[in-house]
Amino acid sequence: MRARSYRKSAVVCTVAMLTAVGASSCAGTGSGTAAGGSTGSGATTLTIQGDAGNPALVENFNPMQPSSAMHGVNLIYEPLEIVSPIDGTFTPFLASGYKFTDSKTLVFTIRQGVKWSDGKPFAASDVVFTFNLLKKFPALDGNGVWQHMSAISASGNDVTITFKTPNVPFAGVIAQTPMLPEHVWSSVADPVKFTNTKPIGTGPYTLGTFAPTQYALKKNPGYWQADKIVPSQVLFPAQASNQNTNQLDVSSGKFDWAYNFLPNVKTTYVARDPQHNIYWFPPGGTIGLYLNLTKAPYNDVNFRTGISLSLNRPTIANKAVNGYLGEASMSGLILPNLNKWLDPSLSDQGLVKQDAAAATAAFAKAGFTKQGGKLVGKDGKQASMSIVMPNNFSDWVAAATEVTNELKAIGINATTDLPQYAQYSTQIQSGSFNAAMGGFGGTGSPYTDFNNALNSSFAAPVGTATANNFERFKSPAVDKSLSQLASATDPAAQQAATSQLQQAMFTQTPVVLLYYGGSWGLFSTKAFTGWPSAADPYTLPANYNNSLLTVLTHLKKS
Amino acid sequence: MTYLKRKVVLFVITLWAAITLNFALPRLMPGSPVDAALAKLASTGIPVTNAQRQAIEVQLGVPNTGLLSQYGSYLKNIATLNFGTSYSFPSETVAQTIGKALPWTLLLVGVSTICAFIIGTLLGVYAGWRRGRSADSVVTLGSTLFGAFPPFWLGLLMLYVLAFKFTLFPLKGGYAPGATPNLSPEFFADAVSHSVLPGVTLVIVALSGWVFGMRNNMINTLGEDFVTFAEANGLRTRTVALLYAARNALLPNVTAFGLSLGGIIGGSVLVEGVFSYPGLGNLLYVAVNNHDFPLMQALFLVITLSMLVMIFIVDLLYVRLDPRIRQ
Repeated sequence: MRARSYRKSAVVCTVAMLTAVGASSCAGTGSGTAAGGSTGSGATTLTIQGDAGNPALVENFNPMQPSSAMHGVNLIYEPLEIVSPIDGTFTPFLASGYKFTDSKTLVFTIRQGVKWSDGKPFAASDVVFTFNLLKKFPALDGNGVWQHMSAISASGNDVTITFKTPNVPFAGVIAQTPMLPEHVWSSVADPVKFTNTKPIGTGPYTLGTFAPTQYALKKNPGYWQADKIVPSQVLFPAQASNQNTNQLDVSSGKFDWAYNFLPNVKTTYVARDPQHNIYWFPPGGTIGLYLNLTKAPYNDVNFRTGISLSLNRPTIANKAVNGYLGEASMSGLILPNLNKWLDPSLSDQGLVKQDAAAATAAFAKAGFTKQGGKLVGKDGKQASMSIVMPNNFSDWVAAATEVTNELKAIGINATTDLPQYAQYSTQIQSGSFNAAMGGFGGTGSPYTDFNNALNSSFAAPVGTATANNFERFKSPAVDKSLSQLASATDPAAQQAATSQLQQAMFTQTPVVLLYYGGSWGLFSTKAFTGWPSAADPYTLPANYNNSLLTVLTHLKKS
Repeated sequence: MTYLKRKVVLFVITLWAAITLNFALPRLMPGSPVDAALAKLASTGIPVTNAQRQAIEVQLGVPNTGLLSQYGSYLKNIATLNFGTSYSFPSETVAQTIGKALPWTLLLVGVSTICAFIIGTLLGVYAGWRRGRSADSVVTLGSTLFGAFPPFWLGLLMLYVLAFKFTLFPLKGGYAPGATPNLSPEFFADAVSHSVLPGVTLVIVALSGWVFGMRNNMINTLGEDFVTFAEANGLRTRTVALLYAARNALLPNVTAFGLSLGGIIGGSVLVEGVFSYPGLGNLLYVAVNNHDFPLMQALFLVITLSMLVMIFIVDLLYVRLDPRIRQ
C-alpha cells in the first residue's frame, strides 16, 4: 500500500507470533537472487518490496500520476534535481545546476550528453515541453507548479522559469518534476488517462517484464551515469493486501530492501540473519496535536502552553512508535534531519519537558484553576477537549490515548473521537473540531513545512475547506518571516527567517508537536551495500518515491 | 404449475429489489472515491493541496449528476452488461477485472465447499450412527472447536506455522510472482500449491455446519419405523446406515448445499484477504476500500444474482424431491 509512509501499519496481530521467531535459527532464504531472477552470469538482481497488488498490479508507468503509477517509474524517469527529504539539499540529475538570477527568476542548466532510452538526445526543449504539458492538463499538475510559475523558456542549454511572486524554496518542487520526452508525449492524445506501458525515459532502468504479481526493470546501458548503477535487474514483487502477510514476507528475507513497520524489529528482522539484516528508522515527519485556534480556550496561547507543558512526550512517543523514534522538538524542525537550521538560542533544542508547576502557572494566566481535581475556567466550567483522528491510524490513536490520560490527570475532560478517514478529513479541513491529531512537516524544506502549517492565507474561515493550516493560525509577523524566507537567496537571510519561525512555533505553540513518525527502512547487505543509514543519511529509506533513484545511485556490490 | 409461476414472479421481484438496493447501498457509504484516494496520499504525511484534489477528481471522473439520472443509466448499463471503468483498475473494464478474478474464486471456494460438504456429511453420518459413543463426542467436539475459529485467524495461524515457520507452502498469492496464468502443468502445480492453505482453511471452518446438520438429521431418521424395520430384517449395518437412514436424512443438507454453492461467487472475503488470493473476495475488499462504485456494484450484482439463481434452482428441484409441493 502506498498509504504507509511514516505511520505504522494498522494491524499488528502477528506481534506475538513474530516475537517467538527470534530464537529460531532458520536464516532468511535467498534475497539477491529471489524468484524469477535468472539473467545469466554476472547479473545482479535487486529485489525491492513492491507496490500493493490488490489483487493484481495494474500496469501504469505514467510519472505524472503518482497515485496510480508503479513505484518503479521513479527509476525510469528522472527529474532535474532531487531534493533530499531529510535536509533539503539538491542533487543534480538532468540539470547540471541551477541558480536564481533574482528571487523570481530561476535558471536550470541542462546536462549535456543525456539520451532517452530510445537513443534520441535529451534537450532543453523537453523540459519546456514537460512544463507546458502540465499547464495544458492541470489534472497532471498535482503539485500545482503553475500556481507559482508564470512562464518558461529555453535558450541553448538554459531553461529559465519565472515566478509570479518570489518563491525561492519552490525551486525544489519544480526541480523534482519528472521529465518527459517531447517526441513521444507530443502525440499522446490524453496524457491524463495515458497508462504509458512502453515508457521511454532517461533513467537508469527500462521496463523489462510486467506480470500482474511482479514487474522487472532492466538496466539501461546508455544511462548517462551507468558506471554508478550496480544491479542489472530490479524486481518489484507485489505486496499483499494484508499487513500480517507483508510482515511475514519481510521477516522471511525475500527482499533486499523493504519498507514496512515491524514490531520488535531486532527479533523479527535482524535476528533472522544477523550478518546481513539491518534497519534504519529515521524520522520522516512530525505528529502533533492540532488545537482549533478559532475556539476558546484554545485561542489563548497560555492555555496551549499549559497543554504543551502537561504532556510527557517521551512516554507518548514510546506508546505510539514502540520507542523507535523520540519526542518532537517544538522548534517545528525534524531533528536531527534539519539540525543545520536549528536556532541555537532555543533551549534544549526546542524540547519541552513535562512541568506540572509551569503548566499550572500557564493555565492560571489563561484563567483556569484546579478545583477538586478539575481544571475549571472563569465561567465555572471544566476545560474539555475532544481529539479527533482516523480510526485506522493506530500510532495516532495510541498517542492520543496517552495524551487524553495525561490531560485527564491534570483535570481536563479529554476524550478521543475515532471516525473514518473521510469524516476526519472533512472535519479538519472545514475547521469543525476542537482538537485533532495531524501530521506536520516532513518535506525536508523548513519553508514548505512552516508555510503549510502557519501561513495565514490558508486559514480559511470555519466552514470553508482548507488543505493546510487546519488550526487556522494567523500572525502578521509569521507571514512576514515566511515571505522573507520565500524570497531569500543567501544562506544568512534564510537562517534568520527560519530562526524567527522556530521562535514563533516555540513561544506561540500553534500546534502541540508530540513525536516523530518513522520511515521504516529494512535492508539486507547480502548482495548490496551502501544503503542509507544514520551514519550516511543521504535520503529517507522510502522505496516508493524518488528516494529509489537516490539509493540506486549509491548502491555497491557487497 | 401455479407453484412455478409464483416462483418466477417472486424471482423477478427479488431481482429488481436486489438491483435497486445494489444501486443505493454504495451511495450510502460515507466519503467519496476522491476522499479515499486523498486518504492514501495524506497518510504519507505530506499535506494534500487543493490542486491535488482537483487533479484526482478529474482523473477519476467522479459523477456529479443527479441520483435519478444515475439510476437510469445504471439500469441501462446492467441490461447491456456495461459496468464502466473502475477507479482502482482504470486500464481495463470492470467486466474484464471480474472475469480475471472469477475462475480463481470458483475453483478455490467451489472445490473447498464441495470437499467440506462431502467430508462433513460423511462425518455427520458416522457421528449420528454412533450417537452417544466416544466417536460421536470426538467428531462433534472437534468440529465445534474448529468451527468456532474465526476463518481469518485460522488462516493466519496456518500461514505462520506452515508457510513461514516450515516454508512448506508459499506465503501469499494464487501463483508464483512473475508468472503469467496459463494452462501448462507447471503453472497448474504452482497454483495448486498456492491454494492448499486457503482451501484447507475454508474446509475446516465450513465443516462443522455440515457435520451437525447431518448428525441431527440422522438421529431423527434413525428413530423412524422403517429403520427399525430394516435392522429387524437383519440387513448389514452399513446398508442400514447409508442406504436407509443417511439417504433420507440427506434432503435438508442438499438444500443447504445448493444455497452455499450460490454463496461461492461472493468468495470468502476474509480468507482470500489473508492469503492475498487473486479472487473475487479480495477484489471486493479492494473495491470497498477505494470507494470504487463501479467495481463494487458489479461485484454485488454478480453475488446477488448467483445467490438468487441458486435459490430459484433449489426451488425448482424441490418440485422433484418433494411430491407434496406439486399439488
